[in-house]
Amino acid sequence: MLSANEIRKVVQERNQHQKGTGKKVVDVREEMERLEAAGEIVIHRIRPENRPVEVSTLFGWKKRIPTDRLWHHKSCGQCGNIPGYPSSLLWLMNETGRTYLNEPHQTSCTAWNYHGTATSNPVALAAVAARNFHRAFETGHFPLIHCGTSYGDYKEMRKLLVENATVRAKVRDVLGKMGRELVLPEEIVHYSEWVHVMAPEILARQKHRVEGVVATVHEPCHYYKMVPEDAVYDESIYAGQRPAVPSGILMALGAKVADYSTWYDCCGFGFRHILSEREFSRSFANLRKIRPMVEEAHADVAITSDTGCVTTLDKSQWIGKAHGLPYMLPVLSDVQFAALTMGAHPYKIAQVHWHAASAEALMTKMGIDWKTAKAEFREYLQALKNGQAPELLHPAHGEIETFFAINKGQVLPDEAPAAPAGAGGRSR
Amino acid sequence: MTIVAHLPQRALTLTEEESAAPPAMELTGRRRASPEERALSETIFAEFHADPRYHEFVLGCLNCGECTTGCPAARFYDFSPREMLQIAETGDATTLWDALQEKIWACCQCYTCNMRCRFGNDIAGIISVMRELSVSHGVASTRKTLAPFGRSLTLLMTVGTQVSSDMIQPDFFRDWGPFATGSDRAWGVGADIMRRAIPSDVLQTTRSSWEVSVQTSLELFRIYEETGVLDMLRGLDPDLTEMLIDIIEERREEFEEARERFRTELEGMSGPVATFRG
Repeated sequence: MLSANEIRKVVQERNQHQKGTGKKVVDVREEMERLEAAGEIVIHRIRPENRPVEVSTLFGWKKRIPTDRLWHHKSCGQCGNIPGYPSSLLWLMNETGRTYLNEPHQTSCTAWNYHGTATSNPVALAAVAARNFHRAFETGHFPLIHCGTSYGDYKEMRKLLVENATVRAKVRDVLGKMGRELVLPEEIVHYSEWVHVMAPEILARQKHRVEGVVATVHEPCHYYKMVPEDAVYDESIYAGQRPAVPSGILMALGAKVADYSTWYDCCGFGFRHILSEREFSRSFANLRKIRPMVEEAHADVAITSDTGCVTTLDKSQWIGKAHGLPYMLPVLSDVQFAALTMGAHPYKIAQVHWHAASAEALMTKMGIDWKTAKAEFREYLQALKNGQAPELLHPAHGEIETFFAINKGQVLPDEAPAAPAGAGGRSR
Repeated sequence: MTIVAHLPQRALTLTEEESAAPPAMELTGRRRASPEERALSETIFAEFHADPRYHEFVLGCLNCGECTTGCPAARFYDFSPREMLQIAETGDATTLWDALQEKIWACCQCYTCNMRCRFGNDIAGIISVMRELSVSHGVASTRKTLAPFGRSLTLLMTVGTQVSSDMIQPDFFRDWGPFATGSDRAWGVGADIMRRAIPSDVLQTTRSSWEVSVQTSLELFRIYEETGVLDMLRGLDPDLTEMLIDIIEERREEFEEARERFRTELEGMSGPVATFRG
């Protein structure tokens, strides 16, 4: 396990070594300014209407986290498999009065595939990143990255595009063929950083107290082990020795964040392994993560902030019963937990039913009447089956957006007159 | 008489042919490569060292083992990032070839080794370079390792998301238990209704992670065509690649038909929506 001080020492030693190789850790944002001045790139800047909040990163560099007018860069794993993750985030934004676009004009970062099967290459990854960056730019909304791997990949790709003129030229050429420009965001922002800086507003709306809840945090590898200098640290959280997210929001809400010996380990996702070699994923998740969380920390819930981590830690547990590991520790993302404390519907919004390890005992401890909510949800499903229009967090998109990358159909929540015909009322 | 005296005698000096031929089985347990495999291994070895990333990622090794200490895969596989780095540094094509058969696929790509390395080696990155070469050259063991990925590759190449809810089938994910798919087993309705109960229209699909507009998927495919990804995929699975091209051709036709259908609405618009042709 490496504390932040040890990481800083590693990086210092690395810099000493890399003087000989010409490589060094630099603030890529400074080079972006030079490239923009030379007409090589356009910087997507955070503007006052994005209502940014400043935080510190590993080396004390400042990073601005936009909190408004955001473009949701969704996670393919979250949306496909644990959809309460993105819906909780959208709900939090509605509740705190933030505006956003949630569009069909986004691809995933494709890095899950790259790290799993290697059927891609860095130029393709950089072009995919740049396409999504440009799409966000043309809508006037700042990209907010939902997935830890997308966040890590986009940090790598931004660095690659800044440092490598050949890749930059190739990507600019590819983008030009689709009428797009090379735009790099001023900051690569993970949604958990948004949650972190929104803590006071979330706390102000808290309905369920969580002082009695013991939470263990799994820190997603791709949040802080890829391009470590971009991760957010805070002196008031673990004395700045571990990333501030997602521990910060839990501490702000009053949960007891408990330590355990393997906090530094990955979850076992493995990219390829979770799909085709789950013997590894589930062994690692149960033995190296869930068991210490339960036996050492006596956790009520495991909280993490990435797609693969929620998936692996949660869904690997059921089979543990066959191996004498009958823990079934609930695993939630920080946004699901935050939304639940604010009174979000456990099933309609937090969608906890997609998780393998039940969150019912946890919700009881939080004072949530999940039995009533479950009955409501069951009725709602029947109503949907009978043809009722679904409740939506934002207006539905128009048919034209099935084909074309425009946002004619969707308007911002704060500008929405009324839900269009066919779309039900706002979901609460 | 000692046992040694009974062992078959072997010439101390090998012929040229014997010197060139690898042993049938070496002490490390690796098998003897065929002439075709040896030729391919030499090609891959040359390309590996010529890759511009090689000198950026491989910066030297103290043998300290910090990387392996934190490695999740090292706990469960015959794998260590320290060994992988040393394989990357080897001057022997066969050693690299052997690593391509299995070891490279044990890595979790968690980047823990990178973070711990005092030299700043990008071990996860150099393993990715090895993997890319295995894919693009269609190494037989790689084709076998990646055989289960046809469905997810199809999805990824055509709409750009890795999973869909209809991929998470209870039969294939039996170890996840009866509730992990959020499906009818627990709630008495079908998967389509469970998706309609997600409060965002973009997510109410079972065929993809979210609805992806046709223009977006065509732009993605253009990236794959322009950056050599399709060529890589041909090395892995030519039939799958042709099928993907057919799917995209249909989407291109669909896109052009829609351009005609929505001509009035599109008039006066600028940017990619006005200029992009599938």
